[in-house]
Amino acid sequence: MSLRTRELGFLVPALLLGMLGLAAGASARADELQAGPWQTALGVAMVFVVMHAVLRMRAPLSDPYLVPIMAALTGIGLAMLYRIDPGLAGDQAIWVTLGGIVFCAVIVFMPDHRVLERYRYIIGLTAVLLLVFTMAFGTEVNGSRLWIEIGGGQRVQLGELAKVLMVIFLAGYLREKREVLAIPTQRRLGMNLPAPRHLAPILVFWGAALAAVVVLNDFGTALLFFGVFLAMLYLATGRALYVGLGITLFAAGSLFIWAAVPRIGARVDSWLHPFTDPQGGGYQMVQSLYALADGGVVGPGFGRALLVTEGGTPRIPALETDFIFSAVSNDLGYVGAIGVMLLYVLLMARGFAIATAARDGFSKLLAGGLTAVVGLQAFIIIGGVVRLVPLTGVTLPFMSYGGSSVVVNFGIAALLLVISNRSRQGLVEAVRGVPAT
Amino acid sequence: MNRSIRALYLTLAAGFAVLVLMLGYWQVIAAGELDERADNPYTLEKQRLVDRGRIISADKVILAESVVYREKGQKYYRRYYPQGALAAQVVGYATAREGSTGLEQQYNRYLAGSYGTGAILDRLRDETKDGADIRLTLDTRVQKTAEALISGRKGAVVAIEPKTGKVLAVASSPGFDLNQVASDFASIRKESGAPLLNRATGGLYPPGSTFKVVTATAALGSGKWSPSSTFDDKGVYVVDGKPIYNSGKAKYGLHNLTDALTFSINTTFAQIGDRLGGRTMGREMTRFGFARPVEIDLPAGEVAVSGRYRDGKLLPNEQRDSDSARIAIGQENLQVTPLQMAMVAGAIANGGRMMRPYLVRRVITRDGVVVKQQRPQEVGSVSSAYIASEVGRMMGSVVSEGTGAEAGLAGLSVAGKTGTAETGDPERNQAWFIGYAPADNPKVAVAVVIEDTSGTGGTEAAPVAGEVMRTALSIGPVQGEPSA
Repeated sequence: MSLRTRELGFLVPALLLGMLGLAAGASARADELQAGPWQTALGVAMVFVVMHAVLRMRAPLSDPYLVPIMAALTGIGLAMLYRIDPGLAGDQAIWVTLGGIVFCAVIVFMPDHRVLERYRYIIGLTAVLLLVFTMAFGTEVNGSRLWIEIGGGQRVQLGELAKVLMVIFLAGYLREKREVLAIPTQRRLGMNLPAPRHLAPILVFWGAALAAVVVLNDFGTALLFFGVFLAMLYLATGRALYVGLGITLFAAGSLFIWAAVPRIGARVDSWLHPFTDPQGGGYQMVQSLYALADGGVVGPGFGRALLVTEGGTPRIPALETDFIFSAVSNDLGYVGAIGVMLLYVLLMARGFAIATAARDGFSKLLAGGLTAVVGLQAFIIIGGVVRLVPLTGVTLPFMSYGGSSVVVNFGIAALLLVISNRSRQGLVEAVRGVPAT
Repeated sequence: MNRSIRALYLTLAAGFAVLVLMLGYWQVIAAGELDERADNPYTLEKQRLVDRGRIISADKVILAESVVYREKGQKYYRRYYPQGALAAQVVGYATAREGSTGLEQQYNRYLAGSYGTGAILDRLRDETKDGADIRLTLDTRVQKTAEALISGRKGAVVAIEPKTGKVLAVASSPGFDLNQVASDFASIRKESGAPLLNRATGGLYPPGSTFKVVTATAALGSGKWSPSSTFDDKGVYVVDGKPIYNSGKAKYGLHNLTDALTFSINTTFAQIGDRLGGRTMGREMTRFGFARPVEIDLPAGEVAVSGRYRDGKLLPNEQRDSDSARIAIGQENLQVTPLQMAMVAGAIANGGRMMRPYLVRRVITRDGVVVKQQRPQEVGSVSSAYIASEVGRMMGSVVSEGTGAEAGLAGLSVAGKTGTAETGDPERNQAWFIGYAPADNPKVAVAVVIEDTSGTGGTEAAPVAGEVMRTALSIGPVQGEPSA
């Protein structure tokens, strides 16, 4: 069986899952059996089928599991959005279509991702500019300044794009510097450290991440950027010391900001003690915990939990974005929520497998970094929902409502598949004795 | 680099494993606790879907029931209280907005049908059980009498069956209409006199001379005195350089212990308390259940702990250096609930054995299956049966010839003790009576407190107690089906 046939074999049940979820949500809403928004469901299914077809033609040797996993997550996400507000699902379907177009464009127009390595500094600069632009001209939503108004009531999160650009830059930069970073040249404070000028990037990133916490007022984005940076640094050098050092620096900086910036202090307090002010600072968290408790072990099913009041208002503010995972846990219970988490673990497993199979340092770092971005982002927001880490405004990849996030994550998947296709192609050609192109 | 990739994957996967554990904590382990929080909108929303059980008095009067109504094709239930304000603080309410109180809160699990081992299975199957009824020990005839007697005044009445601990009446005035909670809670809250407070279980008052029953029990228990031990009253007893006088500065001269209780002679009881000391007095208080929450089937927040308070903090009973002379006459920061004092009277009535007070006789499903049954339970012994009968005899003399004459019932012997706690303002005495009847075979024990009165325990509280006890003794069993 070819890789693509295997992909199709997994894709069909994954798509059916989302369609059934939508139908179940619609039936719960109407209190009678309904097909649900089948046009939307079919449209999204078509997007995935087209993506599959494009892969068949242009990247036939790419990993066959990534697209079905994406489809399952997207489908469950759409079903959740539909049960919160049918209008949201309609919007999201459009974002998914856009994401599909970006996905196909990457596959078709970038058969070899290694061109990116050449432009690493331009890409890195662009990432920084996007972030600076957001800091300067961003609109504040829910207290975090992450959005840029683009007219027509629409806004985009440039940070989502910057995230990917940063990974590409880091993959190129670290590939170049990995040797000097991996070799210690001096001993300070009982640690073997490389030369100070090679350490500088860590400190620059540390400073930038903390600045982002204060300026963007978004701990999640900062945590994500810095976390991915550390992950890639570790991938490049294999030295856990950097990770330890980085985490210590970040924790120390965070503690300082927590103590020094009252606005952020209040947020941390409502994380640690949500029940001291259940109607004020702790409201969102407390309502979310009630939703989790209500879900219990198996949950009442798609659309059956009391997540939305009779008037149509979600009980948890930002339910469709930051708290989409609470909706899953409530409707589908612990069992369903574990299922979704396993999908993310599976996604990481495939992403890291692609990184392992890649045959050059840049590809490995890029694949590993992109996978870490998605995995870490899912971890940070789910961790916020279950109160493991402070709640932050990052999206749950493929599931949260939001165009920027959907489009960027589809782009990431496409990049991973290009890398995957490339490495297997190289392998096939090597076996056949044909030089890799 | 592949080793690092694997290590990173394992680290992130381990992170997700932690997430799974955390989520399990909220969804499974802490879920029950979160579900029961008063502000949980899910619980409140689901309440409307439950046919909540009824609350039915011992004489088969329905105090609370659920009425069905339809909204957009969906069946909902709302709570209705056919008796309105009767026993409002005890019955309590269960609403989405104002939370829940009283028996409605305490027995919520049963009333809402979420009890038993099947509860988790029901949850899994998304099924709701109909709520079970709760049958009370409380009798509306006694309750109505008590409420009528104190209406218009601030005060409380508790009536219990001394041999079993069954609570016959718990009245607290002013009261409120339970049906008004759902429609207009704001105006109930605005009313003066704190109608939501259950004064009988949650109101703390200085016990005044009713506490002499405890002192008398300690005195006889010490073996140093008998009811006929003689004392010589000079009208004053000095402790720590400060004098203790009798009420109205009276002087009684030579008398015995029975006389001392009958006429509530402060100097004699102060002397006894002084000689017993803080430890012995404290031990007696412990036996009578002071400084310990009463185990009654009401929400813990609605039952105050009786004992000595300083700056709002409860002090231990046994303190060697406490002013036992003033404790003996019910002073020295003593704060007690009417429920506690009814239990004191009940323990003496029941041969020194104190029974746990309870309001719910049984929980029973619509199909007649008894889910929970409460039986009489002894919580402790305050004295030997002999000493209890001696104290009881002295309390009999209080009613037959002393300060408690107003509690007397024609043809029946009543035992009791009055108390008048003065606040400094002669118009604002707290009038007390505790007692039981019939003295030779007690069937009912009561405690009555009337706030802010110019009268005394003898003139204000004793007649109320007498009337309540008469009603309690006259009621017979009720046949037939419960009705409103």
